[in-house]
Amino acid sequence: MLASRRRFLQATLGSSTLLSAGLTVPAFLARSAWAASSEASNPKGGLGENILVVIQLSGGNDGLNTVIPFADDGYGRNRITLRIADNQVLKLNDQTGLHPQMEGFKKLFESQRLAIVQGVGYPNPDRSHFRSMDIWHTAKPEREDKSDGWLGRTIDSDPREAGQDVPALHLGPNQLPLALVSQRTPVPSIESMAGFRLQTAGGALPLASLAQLAEAARPDSPPLLDFLRRSTLNAYASSAQVQEALKEERSEAAYPDFVLAQKLKQIAQLIDAKLSTRIYYVSLDGFDTHANQAPAQAALLNQLSASVSAFVEDLAQRGLQDRVMVLSFSEFGRRVRENASQGTDHGTAAPVFLAGGRVAAGLIGAQPSLGDLDGEGDLKFHTDFRRLYASLLDGWLGCPSEKVLGQHFEPLAIVQG
Amino acid sequence: MAAQSLSPNTPLAEIDPVWAWSPLTPAFRPWTRELAAHLYRRAGFSATWAELDEAVADGCHRTVERLLSRAPQSDSFYGEADRSVAALLASGNANHLSAWWLYVMLNSPQPLLEKLTLFWHGHFATSAAKVTDGRMMFAQHALLRKHALGHFGPLLEELSKDPAMLVWLDSTTNHKAHPNENFAREVMELFCLGIGHYTEHDIKDAARAFTGWELRKDQFRFNRYQHDDGLKSLLGKSGRFTGDDVLKILLEQPATARFLVGKLYRFIVNETVEPPATLLEPLAAGFRAAEYDMTWLLRTMLRSNFFYSPHAMQQRIKSPVEFAIGLLHSLEGSANTYALADDLRDLGQAVFFPPNVKGWDGGAAWINSSTLVGRANLVWNVVSDRDGRYNTRLALDCLPALSGLGDPAAISRRLADLLLAFPLPDAVYVQLAAVAADKISGNQLARAVQAIATLPEFQLA
Repeated sequence: MLASRRRFLQATLGSSTLLSAGLTVPAFLARSAWAASSEASNPKGGLGENILVVIQLSGGNDGLNTVIPFADDGYGRNRITLRIADNQVLKLNDQTGLHPQMEGFKKLFESQRLAIVQGVGYPNPDRSHFRSMDIWHTAKPEREDKSDGWLGRTIDSDPREAGQDVPALHLGPNQLPLALVSQRTPVPSIESMAGFRLQTAGGALPLASLAQLAEAARPDSPPLLDFLRRSTLNAYASSAQVQEALKEERSEAAYPDFVLAQKLKQIAQLIDAKLSTRIYYVSLDGFDTHANQAPAQAALLNQLSASVSAFVEDLAQRGLQDRVMVLSFSEFGRRVRENASQGTDHGTAAPVFLAGGRVAAGLIGAQPSLGDLDGEGDLKFHTDFRRLYASLLDGWLGCPSEKVLGQHFEPLAIVQG
Repeated sequence: MAAQSLSPNTPLAEIDPVWAWSPLTPAFRPWTRELAAHLYRRAGFSATWAELDEAVADGCHRTVERLLSRAPQSDSFYGEADRSVAALLASGNANHLSAWWLYVMLNSPQPLLEKLTLFWHGHFATSAAKVTDGRMMFAQHALLRKHALGHFGPLLEELSKDPAMLVWLDSTTNHKAHPNENFAREVMELFCLGIGHYTEHDIKDAARAFTGWELRKDQFRFNRYQHDDGLKSLLGKSGRFTGDDVLKILLEQPATARFLVGKLYRFIVNETVEPPATLLEPLAAGFRAAEYDMTWLLRTMLRSNFFYSPHAMQQRIKSPVEFAIGLLHSLEGSANTYALADDLRDLGQAVFFPPNVKGWDGGAAWINSSTLVGRANLVWNVVSDRDGRYNTRLALDCLPALSGLGDPAAISRRLADLLLAFPLPDAVYVQLAAVAADKISGNQLARAVQAIATLPEFQLA
């Protein structure tokens, strides 16, 4: 961590013993397998220089109307009112195209900066929003274990010094996604940069006093109180760090006027401010289109495509696009046959998007057959999402995937070179 | 019932469930201010100094009964509240409802009724973001309050046909040829049984039973031409079930009582450790025998040994609503609830706008860097009203709790006794006294309150 930032924190918080205890991996774990294996890519240890930005599409995005097998008869037969006409599909080749509102993604595809992994899912698909999202977040389809998430486990296995920049950051108004929950490191959520500022004007107690009150010795503190103490100190420290990182304004890139775009812009600023945060997480909600799907999904895909492409362009301008990978996923796709409300119900396999300067661009894997469906009439997956996670962990973040996922998964070729 | 010594480390599986839910015995714990404050935090939002005095004098049993009963002023208070909301809803806009409800929570003579309405609001989570008609949202809200302390059966039956619920779950139409599965899934997964107590096939057949349920001109209607009256089988039963039949079948499942008891336990008793099924079994059995009477369940929980044990006390994190309303109530203050509604939304709890069908997860989910900074800022906004948004009416120096006290350290300690009512470690009192004695110009009392209300301990319910 930058020496100046360490001085800044020490000046604000004094030597916070609690902060040190809360955020350091115990010494006997410091020489983990990861530390050994990643020293080649990053001699200082810890997650390498690469950054992962995760965009969660909440509600179950209809993959079939996003990455469209327009040449397949089955598509038109099953989507009487929802079918996107041939002449509107943004064609990627003579079989597959994108939803008409995804011009941005088409440009990224053509400039070798977008990969589309098709047919992603997991065995025995669950069609409950919450259970399926939990599965994507924990990478544990076989049993319910919500003690931590795959990204939480990722940052826990990173031997880092106390007092560094937060390893992961969630930008959103909702609670911290399970994916980021870790056993040891409270990950901050921030709603907006302004709301992250602790008010100390007008005669309020200064940050140092508040921190001292939280830090005062509490012998035999029960676990819940201990969690609250550590979280409180983490909040004060993170607030100070983010304020520091945002003081400089360096880009002229144009972002569309969407909430998602504004969040991605803030991420670009934080990355450019040299925060050592390696994982950013945002969500886009509203994909649960049981009724009247067409306008709702069109608007959302437009927001996704325009925001991500603006983000990648901004990163390119800042010279950062080779260090950032964007992952966009949803908890399931939707059913092949549309329902009677011009919508679709919960389904199974769906495509996942990866964008960035070093992605192995193109279509990865085949469109799941519309003729050969599972017992419930849904698409059969062929690529387990954990293979995708393994590829990102080993091939992008420099973190041993077996530690995080509990077993070996055959990686996909998603990174160039 | 023999008193049982209990440490915070006693595993839940080793606690005798019968003893756990028996009424509090003095041999286990004597009734004190600390217990009374705990009861008020859980059964309401907080207690004023006078309420603590009264509760200590009355004892546990009488205090719980008072909290469960309709207060003498309730009729006139709620009559007035209903009249004031009618004026707000004339525009049809749902945004005013949040501010209105926060006002009601802060001023109601029956805080337990509001607390349970909040519980059901999270359970049957319906958002005004999708159900934009304010009158429809209010009608559902009134249903929740009407049944909040009553029986679950009528609540489920009325809510299943509530127009706001039908709009929310995309069940305004449900056609014979293509049954809409959303409502069937949520009624099983979220409202009655919980995951694992039904199959995908149960959902599909339940969806068929609900065909014909429609919304016409903002009213529920049963369209028999769209109803699939064929044979269905679900949860071990077969028949030509209608939607009403499915609800009755759900109410017959033992899983329903267990599911609801588990949810209320999490909301009222403890949200840090998943309780073993054996611990909750007497409650589930009694709840079912009492025909899902919420008053029975609450009375049993709120008077019990377990509720006053280390497994319940300080084992919840205050939701944003509890945090803010509790603070204001203890300090006998009021604030502009429109401003409060905005700030609580930033803390993750916009009432009438739950984030999704599952309501609010609660517990550690409330806590992250943004919300902790937000809570600290809210405390300062309330006690200092720097920018005038809150228009706070607070008279800290006139608080009954502080009468006769002049020494800053004593004032600080007394404020802690009011706002927390449980002992703090010495090192914390030392810090609080240092803050109170600090002669920075400005509002010393406000800073003393800020110091306490930003403690990690104050986040505990």
